Amino acid sequence: MILSALNDYYRRLAAQEKVPVPGFSSEKVSYALVFSHDGEPVAIDDLRDTSGKKPRPRSQQVPVDKRRTSGIHAYPLWDKTAYALGVTAGEGKRLADEHAAFKARQLALFGGCDDADLCAFLRLLKHWQPEKLAELSGYSEEMLDTNIVFRLDGQQRYLHENSMARSLWRTALENDEGVVGQCLVTGEIATLGTDHPAIRGVRDAQSSGASLVSFNSDAYNSYGNKGQDNAAISKVAIFGYSTALNYLLRGDSDNHQRLQIGDTTVVFWAEASDAVHAEAAEDFFAMLNEPPSDQQEAAQLGSLLGQVAQGRPLAELDPRLESGTRFFVLGLAPNAARLSVRFWCADTLDRLARHYAQHHRDLALEPAPWKGIAPGSWWMALQTAPMRGGQKPKADDVPPQLAGELMRSILTGRRYPQSLLSNLVMRFRNDGHITGARIALCKAVLARTARLAAHSNSHTQEVPVSLDRHSTHPGYLLGRLFAELENAQRGALGNQINATIRDRYYGAASATPASVFPMLLRNAQNHLSNMRKKDKGGLAHTLEREIGAIVNGLGDTFPKHLKVEDQGRFAIGYYHQSQARFAKRDSATTPEESTQGDDT
Amino acid sequence: MSYGVRLHIWGERACFTRPELKTERVSYDVITPSAARGILEAIHWKPAIRWCIDRIHVLKPIRFESIRRNEVAGKLPAGTVSKGIKSGRVDEVHYFVDQNRQQRASTILRDVGYVIEAHFEFTSRADDSDTPGKHLDIFNRRARQGQCFHMPCLGTREFPAAFELIESEQQMPAVDDDLSGERDLGFMLHDIDFANGKTSRFYRAKMQDGVIEVPPFQEALA
Repeated sequence: MILSALNDYYRRLAAQEKVPVPGFSSEKVSYALVFSHDGEPVAIDDLRDTSGKKPRPRSQQVPVDKRRTSGIHAYPLWDKTAYALGVTAGEGKRLADEHAAFKARQLALFGGCDDADLCAFLRLLKHWQPEKLAELSGYSEEMLDTNIVFRLDGQQRYLHENSMARSLWRTALENDEGVVGQCLVTGEIATLGTDHPAIRGVRDAQSSGASLVSFNSDAYNSYGNKGQDNAAISKVAIFGYSTALNYLLRGDSDNHQRLQIGDTTVVFWAEASDAVHAEAAEDFFAMLNEPPSDQQEAAQLGSLLGQVAQGRPLAELDPRLESGTRFFVLGLAPNAARLSVRFWCADTLDRLARHYAQHHRDLALEPAPWKGIAPGSWWMALQTAPMRGGQKPKADDVPPQLAGELMRSILTGRRYPQSLLSNLVMRFRNDGHITGARIALCKAVLARTARLAAHSNSHTQEVPVSLDRHSTHPGYLLGRLFAELENAQRGALGNQINATIRDRYYGAASATPASVFPMLLRNAQNHLSNMRKKDKGGLAHTLEREIGAIVNGLGDTFPKHLKVEDQGRFAIGYYHQSQARFAKRDSATTPEESTQGDDT
Repeated sequence: MSYGVRLHIWGERACFTRPELKTERVSYDVITPSAARGILEAIHWKPAIRWCIDRIHVLKPIRFESIRRNEVAGKLPAGTVSKGIKSGRVDEVHYFVDQNRQQRASTILRDVGYVIEAHFEFTSRADDSDTPGKHLDIFNRRARQGQCFHMPCLGTREFPAAFELIESEQQMPAVDDDLSGERDLGFMLHDIDFANGKTSRFYRAKMQDGVIEVPPFQEALA
């Protein structure tokens, strides 16, 4: 499915002439050697893009037949300087062999033709003396070991763009026979390929490129097959999928089809009636994953998702989007020389948008921990990393598997990974940062689980978005009680306390309530009487009434211990109750905000 | 179809590995006919019969999960074993897992359930004592009692399959609503052609309301 979707995408790209044709590949080229009709070298052209801070090589579509590994293999009409010119900055143990291979390859391919340009090129190679390179105008040390192409003096085109050279190259490739069999990507009977080009651009994979389809140890072979024979894929399909994937992963700054989520590099593409609609769909998806920082745009996206959640089709909401657009998302993770598929999703854009809308609805929490719309999934995953001493969470601390699974559940609308909740609960206890974003994630996990379980007729209480005074869930009530006890302490002793009861007892209170709550309630009585002495009798009265109401709802005894799910509810209850204090104070501003929300 | 059988199988995890993505394993969306054949053979098989899968019913929504495990990178060469047999010594026949390890990721299926509809044909090794009724009875009796030669598995050995015979008068288990409509699952492995140099044969799997019609093996190539 993955390879065939990529192969189909290649065909659409090829129709728009965005990707190389078979036998060619996009490679990074830095310099061109200019030579005369007599085969004399003339000058060196710098082809690099100098618009940025550092000059960067440009991509050119050059003839490539197979991937170079440890052996010696020369490419026609272009190569790195060690091959093409016999010069290298390194030790060059194999330099003579490499240069000889380059010359032999060109002679074998173009020796029999009478094209004037190619003949001049062969003359150049025949009389070429590597030590003369440094004397040419335009030479610099930087040139060594980069890729170079050739150009005949007085011509606009490079030699590898010569039509004669291209047709000779194509015939040479077609004569290259292979085993015929059924291709597992297209189902056709075709010549099977044995060489899969490297996939470049996945972060932290080998920089020379890694393989998606590879069988590089004995244990990966089956039925006596060796290497690539394990997977029968036709040459055409191999070229198609690898070119499309390399196109999606390209490092250009205008590439909007790529995302980084932890260690996973995500690429996505759309299949619509034409390229404009496909691009609009891709932009829309990119925006879903990295919501705009501009508040107005974020609010627009938020209201759009709200309408999607109510079942309105996307095409109606945004004229650039088309209903029935197929959408593909592929998450690739590096594993040494190989790539592994972390997640794969092929669905319609409408359904994907609905899943995202659902995700945002599950995350909804009052008061909202962020302005506008919830941040992207990677930011969410980052909340599971430790935040010690006010440090920012580090990307390395997020379990990579967790980030991938979170992304998968957002895409498919299925249950969030259960490890997300246990991770968050563990984080509350370990670093004590009970932040709104973490609570929202807790709430999302519980809300989605409850919603999905509702279909199977089990009875779970709904997870409240904002403070719910009628909830009888023990975890939720205990969380609220804990927040009120903290309020009592703060009211009695002020805000400047070295260690609040939250710092000391949060972990124990959420995991084993029966062991700490009786003691905390006793202390709260002291705090309350302390407040009355300090002329804060009114506040003490309110707190006492609230605590009384919560304890009434709890029943006779405190639970001995809470499950992870209930600890999640505990955190939500704690958040709601402690935020309620601020909500009362800002209540004057709230109605205004809500009318704003309706306008957009 | 007088010798048809229906077997309900299910399990928590499954991995029907795609041949192109088998190093860093990615599973097919649903069970392959060859994996289904393997499950039937685990319950009853004799050289006289050959199982043919007719239809696969997918009961539960297709869900994936990825895991990462430490596995071995090599195999014990067959030559070493035959040499050991010849010389009668076993000191060369060993493989140390801790010296040749590889971490591999797998994207596997979660919580699967299928019904396999299949029949059997006689091979050239059948003789007069092999009647359809006999083999059908043996299979049904064994499946009813939960007997098997080895534990049937969902693609790989580490994911065992639970199974239950669906009697001819019994209703089919319910198919999840999520699977309604038509879905193209792309080209999928049908089986390996063992008589023909172990070449793989693929077929275009199309699921209609959770049901996949499996073409006969000889037609799969067409």
